[in-house]
Amino acid sequence: MKPILHAKNISKTYGKKGTAAYTAVRDLSFSMNEGEFIGIMGPSGSGKTTLLNMVATLDPVTEGDITIDGVSVSAMTEDQLSDFRAERLGFIFQDFNLLESMTVFENIALPLSLRNAEVEEIQDRVLQVSGIIGIGELLENYPAELSGGQKQRAAIARALIHEPALLLADEPTGALDSRNAETLLDTLAELNAVRNVSILMVTHDPRSASYCSRVLFIKDGKLDRELVPSGTREAFHQEILTVLGDLDRRSGAGGRA
Amino acid sequence: MILKLALTGMRKKRRDYLILFTGLIISVAVFYMFLTMSLNKDFIARNSVINHIQPVFLVGTVLLSVTTFFYLFYTNSFLLSLRKKEFGLYGLIGVKKQQIGRVFRLETLVITIGALVIGLALGVLLSRVVSWLLMSGLDVGFAEFKVIYVPAVMWTAVYFLIASFITSSVHSARLAKTPIIELLRSDVQSERVVKKPTLTALQTMLGVLFLGIGYLSLYFMEQLRFIGLFTAPVTTTAGTYLLFAALLPVIVRKWKRNKKANLRGINAFTSGQLNFRLSSLKWVLATIAMLIALSAGAIAGGFAFKNDAFLSIDRSWQYDAALYNPGSAEIALLATIPLQEQNSFHVKQDDTYLYYVREELNAAPPLVTDWETYRVVRPEPLPENMKIEDDYQIIPDNWVAALETINPALAGTKSFRIVPLEQYERITGEEVSILLARTADFSAYLQKWQALEELQNDVYSTMMPGFDPKTDAVTSKYSQFKSQYALASGTFFMGFFLGLAFLTMMASILMFKILSGAANDIRRYDSLRKLGVRRKLLENSISREILIVFLFPGVLGLMHVLVGMRLFSFILQEPYYRLWVSILIFLAIYGGYYFFTVHLYRKIVLSHQ
Ligand SMILES: Nc1ncnc2c1ncn2[C@@H]1O[C@H](COP(=O)(O)OP(=O)(O)OP(=O)(O)O)[C@@H](O)[C@H]1O
Ligand SMILES: [Mg+2]
Repeated sequence: MKPILHAKNISKTYGKKGTAAYTAVRDLSFSMNEGEFIGIMGPSGSGKTTLLNMVATLDPVTEGDITIDGVSVSAMTEDQLSDFRAERLGFIFQDFNLLESMTVFENIALPLSLRNAEVEEIQDRVLQVSGIIGIGELLENYPAELSGGQKQRAAIARALIHEPALLLADEPTGALDSRNAETLLDTLAELNAVRNVSILMVTHDPRSASYCSRVLFIKDGKLDRELVPSGTREAFHQEILTVLGDLDRRSGAGGRA
Repeated sequence: MILKLALTGMRKKRRDYLILFTGLIISVAVFYMFLTMSLNKDFIARNSVINHIQPVFLVGTVLLSVTTFFYLFYTNSFLLSLRKKEFGLYGLIGVKKQQIGRVFRLETLVITIGALVIGLALGVLLSRVVSWLLMSGLDVGFAEFKVIYVPAVMWTAVYFLIASFITSSVHSARLAKTPIIELLRSDVQSERVVKKPTLTALQTMLGVLFLGIGYLSLYFMEQLRFIGLFTAPVTTTAGTYLLFAALLPVIVRKWKRNKKANLRGINAFTSGQLNFRLSSLKWVLATIAMLIALSAGAIAGGFAFKNDAFLSIDRSWQYDAALYNPGSAEIALLATIPLQEQNSFHVKQDDTYLYYVREELNAAPPLVTDWETYRVVRPEPLPENMKIEDDYQIIPDNWVAALETINPALAGTKSFRIVPLEQYERITGEEVSILLARTADFSAYLQKWQALEELQNDVYSTMMPGFDPKTDAVTSKYSQFKSQYALASGTFFMGFFLGLAFLTMMASILMFKILSGAANDIRRYDSLRKLGVRRKLLENSISREILIVFLFPGVLGLMHVLVGMRLFSFILQEPYYRLWVSILIFLAIYGGYYFFTVHLYRKIVLSHQ
């Protein structure tokens, strides 16, 4: 198994050094192998998005180092980082990040356009992916004309179209009903199983987390616990619920909800 | 409390205010300059040349105050729209509408006062420069000219304070009528999708038709005359607005339809941005195209007027100097000028008549412009018998012109009699000799004509009792040239600074419009960055997008100017004289604004990267 991601003692401190600084992630380490489907869970404000952003090379780490595909992120120039994101990473953001001035088609096509792919290839891929995700009828609409769930699906289509090596998802099912959520998770699981796409997914939803091959629990910016499925998905679901209940109980006396 | 609210609110929108501020400062400065030029009493009264310029600057002041008022009104409504949401929040926490209105008026007042202070300082500097330029250009001393002129300062302050009071009152009244919920929502209104084209074909056709009629009437101005004066501005303006409304969205949609280009890099993003921008800005852009035409036209008109002073003086004066009783000083000076022709004439005058010698006139008939053929000719020899009717000697028209040419200073003062030599010799009366001189190029020897004029002042004083060279001027080519040139220079400066003021105002409106949308774009550019778009690509996308927004009105506006300068063919011989200079000035200012806008825009949307 080839390691794809290695985070070593990373910390993230917001705010100016000294005055009112807030450390969102502290001294966290973990590794991810190629083909893994990792879930990240934790209470709101525990630093999940912050962690994802650092892995996504969007936010520099304050301390520590992140290595992706054997390359240290801190050693890359800004342009290299851009190219790296465009070629190797796919994003599903917590707040969609669709571009309002472009049609859904153009939004989904963007990662391929950035590589200057052929028009025919772009069209085929967009039709294919949007068909899978179930927004084939909305391609000529603008994001402003879509519902929250439809926007999210468009964002997912955009994240998948260029078959990234590492897919980063921040609560991809947050705005979906349970049936749509299931479809999406099945899609992700299939991508992971068939195409060996590595997925790192932040989620609040235990059912979503049960699709993962490993779940990391984060609390107050620190890695609290790790969970690997030992039996069926349903059993894993129950295990996750137990751990979450435990986490809640420990922080129940005054911590953040 | 209210003051604090106002200040924090302004600090948040510092950038938008700054842009508005620059436009305001420039208009205050130009306004003040126009006023000092037209109001400086002592300076005007003592200076016969400046007398001619004064009304020009007054006209400029009126024009400027009208446009400035609209500018203030427009920008003030922008300011309000920027702050609507914030004001809605104040309303939500229980601040009264009246208080919010007061906050807004106070803000506007503070800005106006700030702009007045800086603008007046700049205006003083500008007046200094302009008066110096006028002085050296016209060869007159401006000893009495006061750069800091209190009444002008006062009137500028009064005008801007009143105008800002009116505009902010109107807008705060409008604010009071808006329900809080609407204020709160005003930010949310998502940029709607561009409407599908309806009637665009008809609109485009009408636009082209109107513009065509406008251009044709400008081109055939001389034939159409007053009909043209009406149709040209109306149809050109209508055509411009129609074209911007109909054509711009169509063009962008065409771009987008070209899949191959559109799906390359972030072209889809750029054209999508443009699509939104052009459709939300089309009225502003059309207005800007018209203002560009006006301002570049004003600058070009100024140049053409100045040039025309030389052309028209040569048209009405064939001889560059007519020297009365020239003494040795005049003869010596004249000898230094290469002359094409010189002739001497004699005139005797008594209480009622000026007498000319027929033989002398016939021997050397002077060049005159024939008013029927507009050709420069020498009149046919005078007939033997010239009848006298009603005490008026009947002679050919060209000879009347010839007598005025020979004797410009006195011809208008008395009736004339052309008499044979023998009769002339018997007339008792004071005799003057007049030396007519003509060169190939009047404008090449201006200093010499001026020197001759000064020498002649002594002669004038003895010839015409009560003549005071300080206040009076005798009709001569040089003196007429001087006042025409002063007028033309005044027009030139007015056109130049009016154009400059228009241009800065409208460019700042465009800049303001673009930048006020930038806040919404921060997220978009951030998304692109997250998706792995290189910074360089984002920067290029911004330059291209804004370039096109600037380009459309710029091109159409310049086209208007190119055709529109025909308008001046009414009064000017060469309306296109040095048009390139004004186009260059326009390009420099407009280009400067473009780069500045791109710079600021990049700073706003790409800053945190
Ligand atoms: N740009 C920032 N500047 C300062 N503090 C920040 C910034 N971004 C996040 N934080 C803080 O860091 C902490 C972690 O934020 P983060 O967004 O990572 O939480 P999260 O685990 O994703 O929460 P949620 O589940 O609600 O999305 C929070 O307390 C937040 O207030
Ligand atoms: Mg989050």
